[in-house]
Amino acid sequence: MQAALLRKQIEAELPSAFTVYRRKALGCIPTGIPQIDCAVQGIPLHALTEICGSNLASSGKTSVLSSLLAHASRQHFCALVDASDSFDPTSGASIQFSRLLWVRCGKSKARLGRLEQAFKVADILLQSGGFGLIVVDLSGLAEQRVRNVPLSSWFRFSRVIEKQAAALVFIEQEPHATSCAGLVLRVSAEPAAFSGNLFTGFHLKAEVLRGHEKRPVRSERSGFSLHTQWA
Amino acid sequence: MFACFYVPDFPVQAALLIELPQARNVFKQSPLAILDGPANLPRVFALNQPARQAGIESGMTKLQVETYGGVLLRKRIVSLEDSAQSTLMEFAGGFSPRVESTAAGTVTLDLSGSEKLLGPWPRVAHHIMSSAAKAGFDLHIAIASNPDAAFHAARVFPSITIIAPGEEALRLAPLPVRILPASPQTLEILEGWGIPTFDALAVLPTVAIAERLGQEGLYLQKLARGETSRPLLTMEPVKEFVASFEFEDPVETLESLFFILNRLLQQLCANLISGSFATNELRLTIGLEVRQLQTDGNKELYQHEWKLPIPTQDRHVLFDLIRLHLERTTFSAPIRELIVEIVPVKPRRVQGNLFLPPSPEPEKLEMTLERIRGVVGSNDEEGIACVGSPGLLDTYRPGSFTVHPFSSMDNTADSSPAARVVAFRVFRPALETSVKLNQQKPYYVQLWHRHLPVLAASGPWCTSGNWWNAFIWAREEWDVALKTAAGIGFYRIYRDRLRRQWFVEGVFD
Repeated sequence: MQAALLRKQIEAELPSAFTVYRRKALGCIPTGIPQIDCAVQGIPLHALTEICGSNLASSGKTSVLSSLLAHASRQHFCALVDASDSFDPTSGASIQFSRLLWVRCGKSKARLGRLEQAFKVADILLQSGGFGLIVVDLSGLAEQRVRNVPLSSWFRFSRVIEKQAAALVFIEQEPHATSCAGLVLRVSAEPAAFSGNLFTGFHLKAEVLRGHEKRPVRSERSGFSLHTQWA
Repeated sequence: MFACFYVPDFPVQAALLIELPQARNVFKQSPLAILDGPANLPRVFALNQPARQAGIESGMTKLQVETYGGVLLRKRIVSLEDSAQSTLMEFAGGFSPRVESTAAGTVTLDLSGSEKLLGPWPRVAHHIMSSAAKAGFDLHIAIASNPDAAFHAARVFPSITIIAPGEEALRLAPLPVRILPASPQTLEILEGWGIPTFDALAVLPTVAIAERLGQEGLYLQKLARGETSRPLLTMEPVKEFVASFEFEDPVETLESLFFILNRLLQQLCANLISGSFATNELRLTIGLEVRQLQTDGNKELYQHEWKLPIPTQDRHVLFDLIRLHLERTTFSAPIRELIVEIVPVKPRRVQGNLFLPPSPEPEKLEMTLERIRGVVGSNDEEGIACVGSPGLLDTYRPGSFTVHPFSSMDNTADSSPAARVVAFRVFRPALETSVKLNQQKPYYVQLWHRHLPVLAASGPWCTSGNWWNAFIWAREEWDVALKTAAGIGFYRIYRDRLRRQWFVEGVFD
C-alpha cells in the first residue's frame, strides 16, 4: 500500500519515472540464411547488430555479411564501410552492386586511422539517411583497438539508429557494444568439406548471444552449410 | 516606345557589382577610381562622383591620385565589365524580349505594346529603377518614341526621363553636341560655328548643312531633332555559364576564396534559372601565383571537375561540393584567379514512385560522398576510387576489381535468387609468406609470424595471363586448411612464378 502510494506521488511529479523504455521493433532484413532467419527473424531495423567471428580461423562472418548484402540490396540501398579493405567483389557477385556503396578505409594518406575513419564514415552515413542497411566491417582490425572504443560511441550509434528505418551492423571478432546492441550473433565454422582434392565448402554454426527484445540470455544455435562458388 | 538604360560610371559599378549590397553602398559614398594601363604606370580609367568631387580626373596617374588620400583604387578587370553587361542585358530582358546592347553599360529595349501589361510609362520607369537598385545598378532611364532620342536623353539626364512623342526636339534641346556620334573633324567644325547644343544644330537650314557637312551632317541634325528611326539590333541574351575572378592580390586563405566563389556561383545559378536550365557538370580552375609542382609536370593551374548524377540549380549544393573538396586540397602557392564553369542541361523531371525503395536524396548524396572522400581520400595508390559501387572487370587476373561512381538513381531491382556461397576475405596487399613443401605440397605456412601446419591442401591451380604485355602474371594457387589457435582457417595461398615468392591472398570466411 505504501509502495503504491509512493509510486503515485512520484508519478504525479515525474510521469515517466517508472515507464519501461522499450525499443522499437518495426521489421527486419532477412539474412538469406533460413536457419538464422528462423532463429532471429533477420537483422532488426532501428537497432545495432553485431556479427562476431574469429579473424584467424574461418568463422563464416563474411559469408553471412555477403548473404545479408545480397538480400538487402534487393530492397534497400546499402553501405559497406570496409575498415580493412577486405571485401572481395568476386565472391559477392549475388549482391546488386549498383545499390551498394563501398567505402574503403585506410587507402590514402589520411590523418585518421582505419578505425577512426570507419566510425566517422558511419556517422556521416547515419546523418545522411536513405540507406536501409549500413555495415561496418571492423573484423580485420586489431581486437585491442576495437575494444578501446568507448561505450559512449556504441551508445550514440544505438540511439541514432533507433530513429531511422535502417539496420546498423558491425562485423567484429568479439562483441563490444554490450547492451547497446539489439542483436548479437556469433558464427563459427566446423571442419571443411573436401570432395576428393577439392575444397567445396564448410558447415557453419550461428549462436544468438542477444536477441531483439532483450530477453534473458538464451543462446540459440543453428547450423547451416555454405558451398564454394565452384562446388 | 523605346527605353534606354544607361549605367553612369559603368566600370566603377561593374567593379562593385561583386560586392555585398551593404559594402556596395559604402563604396558608392567613398571616392573610388579604377586604374588601367601598363603595370608600371597605371592611370585613372573611370571614377565615381565622390572621386570627381574630391578633384580626381580621368587620366591621372596612380601616384597623383594617391596624393589626395582616402581614395579607393581598383584595378580594371574587363571580365567583370563583360559580366556586368550580360547581367544588365538579362535584367532588361525581364521587361521586353527585344533588347539591344547599345554600348558598354547601355541597353535599349522596345516597349511597344507592353503598356497594357506594365502600366503607364512613369510607373514602369519607377518599377525598373527600383528593380535595378536591387540588382545593384544605379541607372538613368529614358523613354522616348525612337531609340536614339532615348539613348541621348539617358546619357545626360539623371534618374527618369519620359519624352512624349513630338516633344523630342524640345526635350533634347539643351544636350551638348559633343555627345553625338560625330567625327572629331565635324565636332571641331560645329564648335567653330558656335553650335554648342542640340537646339542650335536643329535649327540650321538642312540644305546648307548638307552642302557643308554632307550625309553625316544631315544625320547629326536628325539626331539633334530626335527624328531618326531605326530598328533595334536585338540579340538573344547570351547566357554566361563561365564566371571568373582575378584577385588584385593573390589570396592565401580559403575564406577569401569562398566569398568570391559564392558570388560567382550565385551569378551562374541565376543564369541557369533564368534560362530554365540546370547543371550536372561543374569545372573549377584555379590559377596559382607561381608554378605548382605536380606529379604530372609543372602546371600553373589547378583543375577539378564534378559530374553530378542529377542536374541541379541549387547554388548551396554546388558551393558545398567545391568547399569540401578545397578544404582537403593543399596549394603550394597563393591563388591568383578563379574560374567556375558549369554545363547547362535540361532539368530533371521525374515523377515519384510509391513502390521504389527509400534511397538517399540525390542532391544530399553527392555532399555525403564528398564528405566521406574527405575522411578516407578519393583514390588509392593504384588510382582506384575509395568510395563508390564495386564492379568486376572483364579479366581473368585474380583480385581485379573496379569502383564505379555511386548513384541513388538506380531503380532496377534484381529478382534473381541470391546464391549462398562461401565468401572470400582478401588481404590487400597480399601477405608475403614462406611455405614449407613436402612432396610438392604445402606442409607448413607462415602466417603472422607463426608457422601453422597444413591439415589439407587443394591444388595447385596454375593460372597466367597478360604474357603479351608488361602486366604479365603467372601463379599457382593452393587452398589450404591451416590449424590455428582459434580453429581451422581455410586460406588461399599462391606462388608467384615470376617473382618466385609465396603469398597469402585471403581467407575463406
